[in-house]
Amino acid sequence: MNADKDKSIFISDQEILSLISAWKSQVGRDPSNDELARIINNLVDEEILYREALLLGLDQEDTIIKRRLAQKISFLKEESILEIPSAKELNKYYENNKDKYFIESSFTFTHYYFSENNNSLERSQQALKALQENSTFKSDPFYLGKAFANEPYRNIESNFGIEFATNFINLAPQKWSKPIRSTYGHHIVYINSINPGYIPEIEEVLRQVEVDFLQMKREQAVKGFLNNIRSEYTIFINPDLKF
Amino acid sequence: MKSIFIKLLIALPVIYIALFAGLWSSVTDSRPVLSILDMMRSDSATEIIDFSSDEEKSSKPKPKPNKDRNPYYGDLHVHTKHSFDAYIFGVTATPNDAYRYAKGDGIMHPMGYEMKLQEPLDFYSVTDHGFFMGMLNAWSDTTTDISQKDFAKPFHDLNRIENLTTESAGPRSALFSEILGGTVTQTYSDLSPNVLKAWLTKNTQAALKSFDYKIHKSAWEDVARAANEHNDPGHFTTFIGYEFTTSTNIEGGNLHRNVIFNSSKAPIRPWTRIDSINPEDLWTWQDKLRDKGVDTVSIPHNPNGSNGQMFEMETFYSDPINREYAEKRMRNEPLVEVTQVKGTSETHPLLSPDDEWADFEIMDVRVGSRPPTFSRPYGSYVREAYLNGLTLEFTKQGNPYKFGLIGSSDTHTGAGAFDESNYWSKVGILDGDPENRGSSPLTQENIQRMDDYMRAFNQPRSTVSLEQGEYANTGFTQWGASGLAAVWAEENTRDSIFKAFKRKETFATTGTRIAVRFFGGYNLSSIDLNSEMLVSQAYQNGVTMGSDLVGDGDKAPEFIVWAQRDKNGAPLQRVQIIKGWSDASGRGHEKVFDVVCSDGLQVDPVTNRCPDNGAKVNINDCSITKNVGSAELKASWVDPEFDNETKSFYYARVLENPTCRWSTWDAISRGFKPREDLHDTIQERAWSSPIWYIPPASDVDVVPLGGTVRMINLST
Repeated sequence: MNADKDKSIFISDQEILSLISAWKSQVGRDPSNDELARIINNLVDEEILYREALLLGLDQEDTIIKRRLAQKISFLKEESILEIPSAKELNKYYENNKDKYFIESSFTFTHYYFSENNNSLERSQQALKALQENSTFKSDPFYLGKAFANEPYRNIESNFGIEFATNFINLAPQKWSKPIRSTYGHHIVYINSINPGYIPEIEEVLRQVEVDFLQMKREQAVKGFLNNIRSEYTIFINPDLKF
Repeated sequence: MKSIFIKLLIALPVIYIALFAGLWSSVTDSRPVLSILDMMRSDSATEIIDFSSDEEKSSKPKPKPNKDRNPYYGDLHVHTKHSFDAYIFGVTATPNDAYRYAKGDGIMHPMGYEMKLQEPLDFYSVTDHGFFMGMLNAWSDTTTDISQKDFAKPFHDLNRIENLTTESAGPRSALFSEILGGTVTQTYSDLSPNVLKAWLTKNTQAALKSFDYKIHKSAWEDVARAANEHNDPGHFTTFIGYEFTTSTNIEGGNLHRNVIFNSSKAPIRPWTRIDSINPEDLWTWQDKLRDKGVDTVSIPHNPNGSNGQMFEMETFYSDPINREYAEKRMRNEPLVEVTQVKGTSETHPLLSPDDEWADFEIMDVRVGSRPPTFSRPYGSYVREAYLNGLTLEFTKQGNPYKFGLIGSSDTHTGAGAFDESNYWSKVGILDGDPENRGSSPLTQENIQRMDDYMRAFNQPRSTVSLEQGEYANTGFTQWGASGLAAVWAEENTRDSIFKAFKRKETFATTGTRIAVRFFGGYNLSSIDLNSEMLVSQAYQNGVTMGSDLVGDGDKAPEFIVWAQRDKNGAPLQRVQIIKGWSDASGRGHEKVFDVVCSDGLQVDPVTNRCPDNGAKVNINDCSITKNVGSAELKASWVDPEFDNETKSFYYARVLENPTCRWSTWDAISRGFKPREDLHDTIQERAWSSPIWYIPPASDVDVVPLGGTVRMINLST
C-alpha cells in the first residue's frame, strides 16, 4: 500500500494476492466475491485509521513507538558493517584506546580468618600480637581457602566484599596487616607479591581489540548517519526550564 | 556425442525418480535391503564446524587454579532476538549484548530501561530456541524472499508501529502459541526437489515452506561466534548452546532441554523438534557427536510445567524403562534446571506434605498452555524423581534420575533478572512492567484492553478484583527472580566448568550467591571442622555432591556441610539435609532434617527443627531484622535413622532469612500494599546435588514388571 501526500490509497495486486492466499491457508478455499470485498475493505479501513492516527500525531506521544523506530533504523545502519578490519586500522584503534585494555593488578597473598560467629575482632587482634611474638594462635578456616595466587582485584572484591577490598588495596606488601573486616568476619593479611597493572601489547589482546573495533564501527555507522542529518534539524529548548 | 547427451538427458529423470523411490521406501518400509538406499544420505546434523576465531594469544595473568575448587556462578539459559518468541516479545538484544550484560555492562530492556547486574557473572550461555532459530527476523523483514510467503504475513504486522507497544501483548501471545501449535509448518509438495534434498541430507526442516536454511545457519553461527568471542579463560567462561524445545504431542507436557557444548566445535546446525520431538533421539544425536569428539550435556528445565511427563516411569512411547534407557539418559543429561523464572521444581506441597518449605515459588500450569492448563505434580518435581529413580533401580530397570542440580533464568531479554528488588521477569514487553505482571493494580484503560484481548482470542478472563483494585492475572505472578547455576571447579575455564557439569559437582540457587559445600564418607568425623585442612581432607576422605557413596559394612556415612552467605543478600537462617530412601517394597520415602541453625541455636532432636531465630521483614519498606542470622554455617552430621541395606540419597538445602518477594518490592515502590493473594516474602535458597548411598551387595533381587520377587540371603 502506497501513501501519497493527498488522500489516495494504492493497493497492489501482490498485496491482494497475498491476502487471498492467507485466507486460503486458513479457510481452505478461495474467498467468494463478498468475502474478498470484505477483506479488501478491512485493509482499506486499517490503512485509513493508520494514516489518520499519524495525522493526529498519535505516534508522537508514545515513547515506546519512538524508541522502537529509532532502534530499527539503528539496526539497519549497524548491519551494513561487515568487512574484516586491517592490521593498520586495528593498531590505530588500539593506540587510541589503550586505557580500555589495562590489565588490572593481581595479588598473591595469604590470610588468617576469624569468623564473625566467634568474637572475630578481638581474636584477630590477639592473633596479630601472637604473630609478632612468634607464639601460636588459632584461626578459622576461610570458605575459599587460605592462599590466593594472581588474584585480580575484581575477584578480591567479589570474594571478600567491598569493605575488605577497599582496605586491602592500601596494604603494604611483605608485612602482616592490621585486622580488616569482611562480610564474614575479620582477617589479617600478608601480601607476598603484587603484579602491577599494565597496558599490554596489542598481540596479547588482539581478539578483544577486533571485537571492540567492529562494535565501534557499528556505533559509528549510526553516529555518522546522525551527524549528517542533524544539521538539517533545528532544536528548540526552553532555556528557563525549572525543575 | 549426441547419443551420450540424449542418454544423459534420459538418465536424469530416472535418477530423480529412483531417489524418490528411495525416499518413499525409507519412509514406508524398513526392510534392510531397501534401507541400503539410506547410504545415499548424509547427516547434516552431525557435520562439525569449529566456530573459534584465531588461537587465543592472551598472556594476561590467570588466577592460579585451586585444587580445593572455587564456586563459580552463571546462567545456562538465556534467549536473544534469534529465538522465535523473543522476537515476538519485542526483544532486539543480540548474543553479543547478552554476553556484555553477563560481564557487567548495562543493556536495554525492550521497554527502554537499563538492565544491569549488581555483580558480574562467572559464566554464561546464550541458548536460543533451536527450531526456527533466526526465522522470525527474516519473516518480518520484508526485504527477504521468505517474508513474501503467506505464512510470514502475520509477522509483518509485528513491525507495524501500532504493534510495537505493550498493547500488542494479546496478539503477540497468540502468535507464540500459533508457532508452537505448528500452523506455520506447511511442507512443500511431495515431489518438490526441496523435499528430496531434505531427505538426502536428513534435514526435515528444509522441506518446510517457512524455512530458509541459509538464514537459520547464519543465526546459529552468530550464537556460536559470540560465545567464542567473549570466552576469556581464567576470567569469564562462555558455552555454545541452544534450547531443544519439545513437548508431548497431545497434552503439551513440557520436555524442553538446553544443550551445552564443551568447546568451540559444534554441528553446523542445531538438532531440533523438527528433527524429532522425542528426547531419546536427541540423546542418540548427542552420542553421535561424542563419537566425533564433541561433548555435550542437555539440561531439562521446567519439569513443573510438564504435566508429569518430564520424569515418567516409562519411555516417550510408553515402553518400560530399561537399563539401556537409564544409562543413555544419564550419559547425556547429568543435570536438571531445578529453578528459574517460571517457578521452582524441587518439590510440591502435594508431594511433600511434611516439608514446611515445599510451598515455594510453585508454578502450577503447563508451559505455554492457552488457556492456562493445570500441570500434574506427580512426575514433575525433582525430589520425587530421585525417589522414583530408586524404585526403578529396585525393579532392575536402572536409575535414569540420578541427576545433579543447577538453576538458570530462561530470560528472553538477553539479561537474567536475579534480584527481587530490581525485577523485569523475562518475556520483554509482555511482563516488563508491574501492571502487566500483576503486582500493581491496572488502570481503567488497561482493564478494558485485557478484557478485549481475552475475548478476541477466546481466552478466559484474565483479571482479578482485589482490595486495592483490578489486577492482571495472566500467570506472571507465579514467576520470579530466579535462578543461578553454580559449580565447584578448579578454575574459571570451559574445560574445568564443563567437567564439573559432567561429575554433577553443581548446586542451584534462587538468584542469590549462597555457596554450599557438601561431603559424605566414613571417616569424616575425624576431620576438625575448624581446621584449615577441612576441605582438602574432606575431598581426600569422602565424596562430594553428585557422587555415589558405596556402603562399607554396617558403617553409617558421615556428612559435612558448609554454607556461606551471599555478601549482597540476607544472612543464613539454617542448613537442612533432605533424605530420600526406598523401603523393602521399593516405595519411596523422604524426610527433612535441619542440621545447623543460625546464631548458635540448637536443633531440636525430636522435631529435627531449628528454633525461630526471630528474623522478620518489615513489609512497609522491606527492611529486615539486623544482627540476626549467620555469615556461614558448618556442621558434620550422621543420619540418626540410617539403615545400611537401604538405597538412599541426601542433598543439602540452605535457607536465608526471609526477604521481600519481587511482587512486594514492585507494589511498595509504586505506593501500594502487596497483593493479599501472593506471598509477601520468600526465603532465598540453594540446593546441592545429592550424594547417593549404594548399599553393599544387596540380598534382594527383584525381577521387573510383574515377575516374581526373589529373596536371596547372601550370607548363607
